[in-house]
Amino acid sequence: MAGKSGRTINATPQNVWRKRILSWEGVLIVILAVVLVLCRAMSATYTLENVLREMPKYLAEMFLMLPMAFILMMGEIDISVGSIVCLSGTLGCFAVNAGMPFPVALLIMLGTGLICGAINGAIIVIFPELPSMIVTLGTQIIFRGIAEIMLGGGGSIAAKNADGFRAIGKSLGIVPIVFFLVIISGAIFVIISTKMKFGRELMAIGSNRLTAFYSGVKVKKVLFISYVTMGAFSALCAIFFTAATYGANTTTGKGFEMDAIAMAVFGGISSTGGKGKMIGGILSAFVIVCLRIGLGQKNVNSQVILLIIGILLIGAVLLPNISARISANKKKAIS
Amino acid sequence: MKKKLLSLLLCATLAAGALAGCGGGGSTTDTGSKSSSESKGGDSGKKQYAIVPKSAGNPYNEKEVEGFKAIIEANGGEAVVNYPQDATADAQITVINSLISQGVDSIAVAANDENALQSVLEDAMSKGIKVSCLDSSVNADSRQTFANQAGVKEVAQALCDAVYDISGGSGDWAILSASSQATNQNAWIEAMKGIMADDSKYADLNLVEVAYGDDETQKSTDQTQALLANYPNLKVICAPTTVGVAAAAKVVQDTGATCRVTGLGLPSEMAEYIGKPDSGKSCPYMFLWNPIDLGKLSAYISLALVDGTITGAAGDTFEAKELGVTYTITEAADGGTEVILGAPFEFNPDNIEEWKTVY
Amino acid sequence: MQKRELSLVIVLVLLIAVVSFVNPSFFTIDNFLDILKNNVVTLIPTLGMLMVLLIGGIDISIASTMALAGMVVGLLFKYNKIESTLLAFIIALAIGAVCGCLMGTIIGLGNVPPIIATMGGMYIFRALAYIVGDSQWAGAEALGNYKDFALKNICGVNVTIWITLLCYILFFILLKWTKFGRNIYAVGSNAEAAQISGIKVARVKIAVYTIMGVLCGLTGALNTSIYASAQPNSLTGKEMDVIAACVIGGVSMSGGRGTVAGSLLGGLVLAVIAKALPLIKIPAIAQNTIKGVLIVVVIIVNVITQRMMNKRALARREM
Repeated sequence: MAGKSGRTINATPQNVWRKRILSWEGVLIVILAVVLVLCRAMSATYTLENVLREMPKYLAEMFLMLPMAFILMMGEIDISVGSIVCLSGTLGCFAVNAGMPFPVALLIMLGTGLICGAINGAIIVIFPELPSMIVTLGTQIIFRGIAEIMLGGGGSIAAKNADGFRAIGKSLGIVPIVFFLVIISGAIFVIISTKMKFGRELMAIGSNRLTAFYSGVKVKKVLFISYVTMGAFSALCAIFFTAATYGANTTTGKGFEMDAIAMAVFGGISSTGGKGKMIGGILSAFVIVCLRIGLGQKNVNSQVILLIIGILLIGAVLLPNISARISANKKKAIS
Repeated sequence: MKKKLLSLLLCATLAAGALAGCGGGGSTTDTGSKSSSESKGGDSGKKQYAIVPKSAGNPYNEKEVEGFKAIIEANGGEAVVNYPQDATADAQITVINSLISQGVDSIAVAANDENALQSVLEDAMSKGIKVSCLDSSVNADSRQTFANQAGVKEVAQALCDAVYDISGGSGDWAILSASSQATNQNAWIEAMKGIMADDSKYADLNLVEVAYGDDETQKSTDQTQALLANYPNLKVICAPTTVGVAAAAKVVQDTGATCRVTGLGLPSEMAEYIGKPDSGKSCPYMFLWNPIDLGKLSAYISLALVDGTITGAAGDTFEAKELGVTYTITEAADGGTEVILGAPFEFNPDNIEEWKTVY
Repeated sequence: MQKRELSLVIVLVLLIAVVSFVNPSFFTIDNFLDILKNNVVTLIPTLGMLMVLLIGGIDISIASTMALAGMVVGLLFKYNKIESTLLAFIIALAIGAVCGCLMGTIIGLGNVPPIIATMGGMYIFRALAYIVGDSQWAGAEALGNYKDFALKNICGVNVTIWITLLCYILFFILLKWTKFGRNIYAVGSNAEAAQISGIKVARVKIAVYTIMGVLCGLTGALNTSIYASAQPNSLTGKEMDVIAACVIGGVSMSGGRGTVAGSLLGGLVLAVIAKALPLIKIPAIAQNTIKGVLIVVVIIVNVITQRMMNKRALARREM
């Protein structure tokens, strides 16, 4: 019997579980290779240089995927992150334009993210009766609303002195700086989720919150820390996104939450909690990004790109389930 | 083990299928990509002129694209049309990045935000791509020139006169705009306020409120109803946005209020509401420019920029053959340059039948 | 009436009282009818979402399904393929049913988590709406008689409100007094127990998502008629309003708990907030912030009142 997500099996021995999960990462690597080869074959302009040049905007979104994966693993969700990106970017630009030194502006952006994350975390911890989706829906409207009020009639702000952001957006050779940062953060998140107590506690909460609580996991603390981390990484996303826009407007970051969730989910991280691996999320993020860049270069209608991503999302979970059912039926037939 | 292999295989085929499918799917759904792949294959050396509209699935934008394509193709170029996923600057950045990778010769963009495209458009210009705007502009640093559909002053003046005329010269009136952040709408509203303050002719007109419907039909409807409820003596609602004016006209016509609606709207959307004063229709007349011509103007600008006829500096001239006009580039208010298409066009009960089928 | 609903009624009455005090024109029958009519597109799918949430699922593809159905109907009128309003509704309902059934099958038989399946559906159906639309809208004129449907009044009340009312009565009966309704609650409370006790869980799931789809089709068709306009990007983000309406109405997102009355109240709270903001002359630019704050405040107040009620109930028991 398949588990909630259908992809993993709950009550089987550890090593089998590991193998199964590993296999999904294996599949993702194969898909990534297929995507790269096919895109290269279809489009002459799909060169390493071009792909890396188009990547920073998507890389910024990957910062959101990492803590989002943690939150999803606990069976929670945060749909306010796009708005946090917007608010943090807006405040950063205001700070730069007010003549503050660039590092101070960065601290303000980071602080904004932390505060927003803390607000989400606090409401969710104090009122456990409220589903996180509805809480973060409320704050989603509020955070973007505050940015709207600050931006006023124009609805848009440009950093008058964009040198700092320009420096952040630079590349080492052809590889953007943010690429290295994403890889480093990804590695840290992988280590936390696999080697550290915090990662195991996340999984325990996701599998069964009550059991986790009774076995001594400080559920509220873990939840709160996760949401604050989410806020901080939203700010990080805002910083690197602003490095690509030199400004912010009222639609900045709209829909980022869905992109981040899609990346995590396609990577095998279940939204029902307790399942998935960080590395899968990172791999799937690259699959989606490389695919989007390739399709974009072929001028495929952006709605068709969404259609394909929709089919991939469903197919990625559906097909293994179907194959599992087929092999299970076979086994039954043999015995 | 078998299961693992099987699912691996299935997923790989799925990805391959999706990709192969969109190779074909892309060319059927988007003629831009079809011609692009053809030219790549044949390596005909055709110049590629790209246009990035504000959003997909909007007939107004589609008409701009239509005009743009017609002129580019008539002049032996290849039009690359690339729609952003949403009506946001974020989505346009993705699209423009991709166009830079493809190495197009020019990009014409109807910007969703004045500033956010600066970095990517500077990048494009540094790679020798000619950048111009149409419909709504980016800041002066990020463009070479701008195909402006109608000068801000002309639009504002036309709307002020309409309000004056419809209200009979005095009374309460209100504005229903798009979002509070919409660049064009805000410029027009500011200019209208300026005109009304400067001329004593408008002294008896009282602007009671500027409401925002965010270009969503439902919200625009809510806002119109609120205006009618809050100001029973309201004489005119002026909505300088296509979604807003249609929603307002519908509410007023359905409720049978004495208030009248004018503004900027698409003839095909507004035909139902435009009529003579005593016909029970809610909109006596309204304005718009011709988006097809705007697309054509933008195409001529792209062509001229690429072949070096113009550089985008004020004083440059170029001929728009099909429009029958020789345009001169002028200084714009924001420090950049622009080309103004012409005065806004009035749609009234006499000509609406003819225009509603055009766009 | 249950406590949960009672606390919500208090919140709603308070809200209406405050707004009416600031602007008396709010407290008129016409205004309340306007509120209902403008929110038909939230109130009807709320019923479907209630069922989906009751079986422990979620559906974020609904707004895309509505847009697709509305778009197809609009285009059929535009290109003079159909003229009958009834036929238009049947087509829209069928499109919704197909979309919903597809989602239900993927979730019920394919064991795909609902949020993943419907997130995929959200992208797919929205893309289809754009593709069938091919950059065309159907405007008021193209819709001919169809747009007059939503203008009709029966006994002084708009026909769309009657349809909504009918849906609510039907679903009230369905969930309260039929076997199917009990099965839904059973699946939501404990799917495994339901399976063991002979309920075909997968079938219930498919049925629920199909019903959700049908309601989306209906909503899409009504939306095109009410606003006399079909656009591919219409109703974007509506799914969040609908989920919010349910949750405010006390429907549990983990399944098994929630009532028709509750979700109606939740939808009304949102509707009143949306209508009240421009009437009490909140500056346009701050309206979104206030809306967000109000939603958060309402759900928190609701939780606190419930906690207090529970405590009082416990105290009474101790005595």
